[in-house]
Amino acid sequence: MQHPDEGTIHSWLDGALSADEAARIETHVKECPQCAVAVAEARGFIAASSRILTALDNAPRGVIPAAAPKKRIDPMVWRVAATVLVVAAGTFVVVRDRGGSEIPMSVAADRGILLEKRASLPELAPSAIGPAQSVADAAAPKAAASKTPAIGTARKTMVGDSSSGVASRDNNAITSAGVMMRAGKSAAAPGYAGGAAPNAPTPLAPSGVTGGVAMDATNESEPLKLVGTRQRAGVKVTLYEIAPGDTVTLTEAKPISLTGAVVTSAGVVPMAAQAAGKSVVLQSKARADTAAITTGTDSQRTNRFLSAPAVSAPAPISQEGRANTLRVVSWTDPGTGNTLTLTGRMSEARLQEIKIRIERERAAAAAKKSP
Amino acid sequence: MTDVDRLFRAYNAALVRYLTRRLGDRDWAEEVAQETFVRALRQTSIQNERAWLFAVATNLVRDEARKDMRRRKHLALLAEEERDEMVEPEETTLERAQEAAMARKAIDALAERDRLALLMREEGLDYSEIAEALQLSPGSVGTTLSRARRRLVESYEALQKSQEEREKNAAS
Repeated sequence: MQHPDEGTIHSWLDGALSADEAARIETHVKECPQCAVAVAEARGFIAASSRILTALDNAPRGVIPAAAPKKRIDPMVWRVAATVLVVAAGTFVVVRDRGGSEIPMSVAADRGILLEKRASLPELAPSAIGPAQSVADAAAPKAAASKTPAIGTARKTMVGDSSSGVASRDNNAITSAGVMMRAGKSAAAPGYAGGAAPNAPTPLAPSGVTGGVAMDATNESEPLKLVGTRQRAGVKVTLYEIAPGDTVTLTEAKPISLTGAVVTSAGVVPMAAQAAGKSVVLQSKARADTAAITTGTDSQRTNRFLSAPAVSAPAPISQEGRANTLRVVSWTDPGTGNTLTLTGRMSEARLQEIKIRIERERAAAAAKKSP
Repeated sequence: MTDVDRLFRAYNAALVRYLTRRLGDRDWAEEVAQETFVRALRQTSIQNERAWLFAVATNLVRDEARKDMRRRKHLALLAEEERDEMVEPEETTLERAQEAAMARKAIDALAERDRLALLMREEGLDYSEIAEALQLSPGSVGTTLSRARRRLVESYEALQKSQEEREKNAAS
């Protein structure tokens, strides 16, 4: 008999031949070593191809677009979106305790800027401040709102909430939102002599330490530390750090946009449970997408801040939480005719003092520009 | 039990597996299988059910416009998988992924008719059913299958060999 071809051998092995044909092949293969090898090889191919095809059975799902989206949106995208949303709507306040604990606070009125101050990262260690502060932040403005409903501005607090980024919204609510800022303190901070106590990474002390420490220790001869500026629609907002964590806001408005941009006292209420440190309300017609003004490695810290664990439990509002009255000093710059508004949580005298320093610096800067 | 229920129970698993192997996407395979059974519903009578189902499924897959669209998605997915592999180099997973990728390459290297005949045979279709589904002469099915098997195994082994060489080079 002629040697069967490969196709016939496969047909035989697949049981596709008639009984007669199959018997003939079988007989031949027994007698023909060459065909026996071919049959063995064919068996190998059959088994191997079956095995190879099995590897295709773990096919992925979800290639079809109609199916549910396979990939979840990166949580970071939500975080960023939440940040943008909040920043778009809000103004914030930084509350800072100069006595030992640090409390970021946020209160919103109108639109805002995200600020993060301080460059000393260790202080942001979550164990030290993150969640605890979040609690305080979430609760404080709400409580403040209920105590002083006459404030007339809506507040939305944002705490370090990784999922939503927004922890609470009070009933007076308007449309604004706040982003908290951190204005910490550190013994190593320049120009700050009074805070030498090694208290930087200390977790919040619930009893609170009253702030409002006088600024005597600050070296007044040093130039004001510029934390950030932003400019929009003819309004330039500048944040100065008077001392570590102690800031004032200078709003410079050209006459044409005066009505829309000048910041007035927002009547910020006591917010911090513990610290009554100095704080600053920063208001601007800021747009969300460009609203972040930070120092140092800002985005990273901001993100980390925003992604701190969400805390829903309200923190007790301590009576020690002292109201920081926001004071405003306005004047017209003789050089430019712009209206300058200085806002800060400090005494009027202190604000005037800073005003003078600002004027002096502006004059010096102007002189440098046009000698 | 309606007739389509019976058909579904009898052939769905094999049809989905056949289509999955053919398409590389289980969802797509299930979708085509369902569409195949829907079409079976419209038939008053089907002579050879299995051959008919596999033939209709095969024809549905041949819908070019559809295929093109899917291919793009498939490519996107492959790219994504590649990225995933890079960040998740767990050995067993990687090994399996490599095997699947090589199997996919090897099966894709076959001629369409060889590929379909082989996949159908793997699902238990006999030579006459394969001939009917693919409109081949029954006598050529053995030749088609033997060629398909040989080429599949040979190209898979070649891929395996080059993979091993790459790993050897990477290790040294």
